[in-house]
Amino acid sequence: MSTDPKAPRPLGDLERLVMEQLWAAPGALTVREVHDRLSISRDLAYTTVMTVLDRLAKKKLTERERDGKAWRYRAAAPREELAADLMRDALDRAGDRREALVRFVGQVSDEEAALLREALSRLEAGGEAEARDG
Amino acid sequence: MITPLLLAALALVLTGPAPALLARSTWPYRIPRAAVALWQAISLAAVLAALGAGIALSYSTAGEPGEPRFDPTAPRDLAAAAVLALTAMVGIRLLWAAGRVAVGTRARRRRHRDLVDILATPDGLIPGLRVLSEETPLAYCLPAIRGARVVVSVGALDRLDESELRAVLAHEQAHLRARHDLVLEAFTALHMAFPRFVRSDVALEQARTLVELLADDDARRRNGPLPLARALVALAGAPAPEAGLAAARSSTVLRVQRLADPAPNYPLLAATTYAVAAALLIVPTVTVAAPILEALATALD
Repeated sequence: MSTDPKAPRPLGDLERLVMEQLWAAPGALTVREVHDRLSISRDLAYTTVMTVLDRLAKKKLTERERDGKAWRYRAAAPREELAADLMRDALDRAGDRREALVRFVGQVSDEEAALLREALSRLEAGGEAEARDG
Repeated sequence: MITPLLLAALALVLTGPAPALLARSTWPYRIPRAAVALWQAISLAAVLAALGAGIALSYSTAGEPGEPRFDPTAPRDLAAAAVLALTAMVGIRLLWAAGRVAVGTRARRRRHRDLVDILATPDGLIPGLRVLSEETPLAYCLPAIRGARVVVSVGALDRLDESELRAVLAHEQAHLRARHDLVLEAFTALHMAFPRFVRSDVALEQARTLVELLADDDARRRNGPLPLARALVALAGAPAPEAGLAAARSSTVLRVQRLADPAPNYPLLAATTYAVAAALLIVPTVTVAAPILEALATALD
């Protein structure tokens, strides 16, 4: 199965697949090795893989080292570590970092949870009454 | 000499008592759009009045209209120059803060988006949606001119049914469409521009809540109040250890209570608020501009 050619930002999607290969590998991989591993499941140009790895290096998500004529790439950090970074950023609303993200809801206290349920049941009751009358 | 005093007084009122009073009121939550405009007008007018006071003071110190010569030996001209320099410094500090917030926010958001792109899987439900395999219930958006993302965690998906998820996505898309992040960025920049001991959190805090209400109203118009209220309750995380420090009621409670009431509609209150916002911007501008224009007219005669 090939990817939808009209899919938005196919490179972004490939970045995830390439990173998954790097995380799964025991050591640093060459572009050729990444390409071979990805080619099992999809049809990709070698240059595309090269571009993606280059982009990832620019974003500091991979590190590369020279190995003879080729570059070897490894993930800059284990998946768990990056996921922890992301969660910290997503949940952090303290201090001067709080403008970075606006979350849908924050955490609430016990009393607030009770107030929330009370308001919701009021709304649910109102909705039912409307449905009955209507 | 009266203009700089009036402007300075206006600047003081607009940075101290006015925001404090507004933050304690509940009526802004009935008209979130007009209230955001009022907060923007108050902040901008405070800045304009402060800068205007400096300009007007240096101007009234430096002599009569039509006498624009600078005499470096006259103490009054030196004083005027000092006041003008101080005013310019305040203005530069504001611009510097705005620039730092803009650059910092974008850098952090770009890094966050890069992480989302390699850690979360795309979902075709809406463009830019990414699903993060985390148990913590999370839903938020990453605004951008191109390639904005909406991030939802698996923990959130588990807690939401289809209509609730649609309501959450409508809320996030409303944030993205209206570029609420830019509104908040302006308030953050202003907040950062003031020294720590004079600034207060109220403007920024209320702006954050008002922006949530605006996105809620958009989602409510699309799907009705019930799915959104259910989603808010479902995702309002586990009781927080630090929640005891928070104010009497969080914005989440306010939002659900507001959804439980009939759709807000206060045209008169909104119109009055807009009028006050406009007046706040016009008065200091005209006060500063009028004597300068007058002087120009005299000089041209």
